[in-house]
Amino acid sequence: MAATAGHTRGERLVVEERAGNLVAVCFTAMAGPCEVLLPAADRAQALELGTLAAREAWRVEHKYSRYLDDSVVAWLHRHRATAVNVDEETASLLDFAATCFAVSDGLFDITSGIFRRAWTFDGSNRVPEPAAIDALLPLVGFDKLQWRSPRLLLPSGMELDFGGIGKEYAVDRAYDILAGHRSAAFLVNFGGDLRANHPPPHGKWQIGIERPDSDREAALLLELDRGALATSGDARRFLLKDGIRYGHVLNPRTGWPVPDAPRSVTVAASSCTEAGLLSTLALLQGARAQAFLEEQAAQHWLLR
Amino acid sequence: MKRGLAAMAAIVCGAAVLSGCSSLGVKPWQRDVLSRQDMLLNAKSIDDAIDDHVYFSKEASSGGRSFAGGGCGCN
Amino acid sequence: MQLKPDAASVRRRLIAASCTLLTASAARGQEISKLLTEVENTDWHLDSALAYYHEDGRVMAIEPLVNLSREYSDGETLGLNFTFDSLSGSSPNGALPSRAAQTFAGPSAKSLSSARRLYTTDPGQLPADPHYSDQRVALGADWQLPLDRLTRANLGGKLSYEDDFLSASLNASIERDFNQKNTTLSFGVNDENDLLHPIGGAPLPGSDYLLFEKSGHKSKNGVGALLGATQVMNRRWLTELNLSVDRFTGYLNDPYKIISVIDGSGATNGYVYESRPDERSRRSAYLENRVGWDQASAALSLRYMTDDWGVHSETAQLRTRLWFGHKSHYLEPTLRWYRQTAAEFYRPWISSSAGQSTSYASSDARLGAFRALTYGIKYGMQLDQRTGRTGSEFSIRAEYYQQTADSRVGGPGALQGLDLYPALKAVLVQLGFSY
Repeated sequence: MAATAGHTRGERLVVEERAGNLVAVCFTAMAGPCEVLLPAADRAQALELGTLAAREAWRVEHKYSRYLDDSVVAWLHRHRATAVNVDEETASLLDFAATCFAVSDGLFDITSGIFRRAWTFDGSNRVPEPAAIDALLPLVGFDKLQWRSPRLLLPSGMELDFGGIGKEYAVDRAYDILAGHRSAAFLVNFGGDLRANHPPPHGKWQIGIERPDSDREAALLLELDRGALATSGDARRFLLKDGIRYGHVLNPRTGWPVPDAPRSVTVAASSCTEAGLLSTLALLQGARAQAFLEEQAAQHWLLR
Repeated sequence: MKRGLAAMAAIVCGAAVLSGCSSLGVKPWQRDVLSRQDMLLNAKSIDDAIDDHVYFSKEASSGGRSFAGGGCGCN
Repeated sequence: MQLKPDAASVRRRLIAASCTLLTASAARGQEISKLLTEVENTDWHLDSALAYYHEDGRVMAIEPLVNLSREYSDGETLGLNFTFDSLSGSSPNGALPSRAAQTFAGPSAKSLSSARRLYTTDPGQLPADPHYSDQRVALGADWQLPLDRLTRANLGGKLSYEDDFLSASLNASIERDFNQKNTTLSFGVNDENDLLHPIGGAPLPGSDYLLFEKSGHKSKNGVGALLGATQVMNRRWLTELNLSVDRFTGYLNDPYKIISVIDGSGATNGYVYESRPDERSRRSAYLENRVGWDQASAALSLRYMTDDWGVHSETAQLRTRLWFGHKSHYLEPTLRWYRQTAAEFYRPWISSSAGQSTSYASSDARLGAFRALTYGIKYGMQLDQRTGRTGSEFSIRAEYYQQTADSRVGGPGALQGLDLYPALKAVLVQLGFSY
């Protein structure tokens, strides 16, 4: 969820008719274009389902935003160094983040967002001074939190950033809500992280994964029956200095980008959360990304 | 009296500075220090309540931070 | 080299974890509408203190206070407070020291001869009623209600009861945030209604002490308004500016204070009750700056006050907090400097040659010109580990207050050489407990 400070969410949904009798309900959420694809649906039904998905996307975005000061994240940041009881949803997300932290051996860390103070990935060559990174290191580390559901104690100076799992979680949430309302095929796509329940009446879902350096021509065309796809990559967020490319995926243990990270990793899994985690973890492996995904027996597509 | 007016004017200038500075401030994620208990301006401190009561009963001034008037017969 | 989890098990654990996350979410259904989390202390938060106050050679007071507050998930807060204070000791009655002994009657007396209680002041001593005693109970409530994301309304009330004084006040204010909550403007009003029923009755202002012309109840009323602005200057610095006005009308005299009538030789010829105007308007400006560092913070406040009795005052206070041991305990030294000018009608004594006067006069030291200095230190200790509740704290505080008169006009005749303006020295010790 690479939201910029000026991002505003509209409450508008646009219903489009696309080729092959496909109805798409489009809206903006989490700093990107979102859509719900509904084959052979009528306009009213499409709008109703699209609204459900949009509301859930906006709800998750608002609740876990680090920019809005009535979000849970802002609330947790205001209560640093104080033990608080979080709600069930936040507790599940924190439990999930804890598992990811353990399973990735500390590479996936929701407290690492604080490094953005030193890094601005705007395509320039302004790489931060090591001293700036060193100053932030003591404030990073999921193991520095005291977390035991539902009690959380966030130490002073530390931050929580649900950006790494928020969008994929929102996809799965919207998917679950729609699945309760529609048994016919549908696909939920939030800015490239998507999930479908089953294939459309004729054929399969056609998915284009953008080429990292240009958003005009799709580099990959995938066909999807059902399940989820999540893509992680540094398409627009990087720094280039002295010929070295610094991707935006940082190693929380060092504060520096993972060297030799692939430009883009797409992973297929049964849920978007799982797919998103696998693709992020793969990026964090750097040169070993491909090997890691093969070990995990995960269907994947890499672009270097 | 003139010195008093000068002092009032000096403090009111502070108000002018405040109102002219809409570019001052922090982003929502920079409120870590400001949200600490000892930094909250409106925290109703029991120490302040006791001090205010003592000063109200021993001096001719009261209030400033909040309403004047002690609500007790001690002055 | 750290042991890495078994490669294949990573995927299994991820599948399991995401299933748990999503199943839990689905099970909760579509009713997740709350955006805010519950605070651990959804019960009442308690702030309490026991204060002991002692003036050198004068009054002493014990005051327990209890504050209960609660924050609701929609942003409403409710606060209740309770105070009890008990004062006793020796309270100056406004008369001047004399070369001769002086005898006074307790406030309930109807005449000197029939008085149940008399007290005598030795030559050279400041006349004071040694049996001054007063108990007070006060209850207050405060309610804050968010009107929308940026605006809050506040309502409060207070009731205070003493033997001879009853006070009821109400206040209401509204505040609104601007500039991404970096600026807050507020406006409030308050109204106070006091009923006095002095022991022995309220004396006729300016009347001769020995005539004991006292009767019944009196009242006074005050209204005030406050305009406030707070501004976040940067990540570590906050500023607050408050401008306020208030106006009291009614019986503003101290019913127990008398003024000595002195002749040219310095002898006390008699006493009259004090007489103050029945109206008082005040204006004040208050500026506070708070700065925070990682292990410390400091608050500097300045206040300027002026009123239509001729009193103007300046106050400056610096409070510094220093944390130790990962914020498990702290020290907080305080320094306060205060100065006020005398009221126009402040008279340490009245000259007998001035004849019958209908103008205002009061010898109350609190309306005189003086400066005061307070030195204080507080020690606080977090008790979270022990009580299991966040924000639990034990504290102890001590302050020393000294007031010295400015403009010490010497008395005529025999009064020369007598200290007519003895300094006030007081000590405050307070124990605090929060839970």
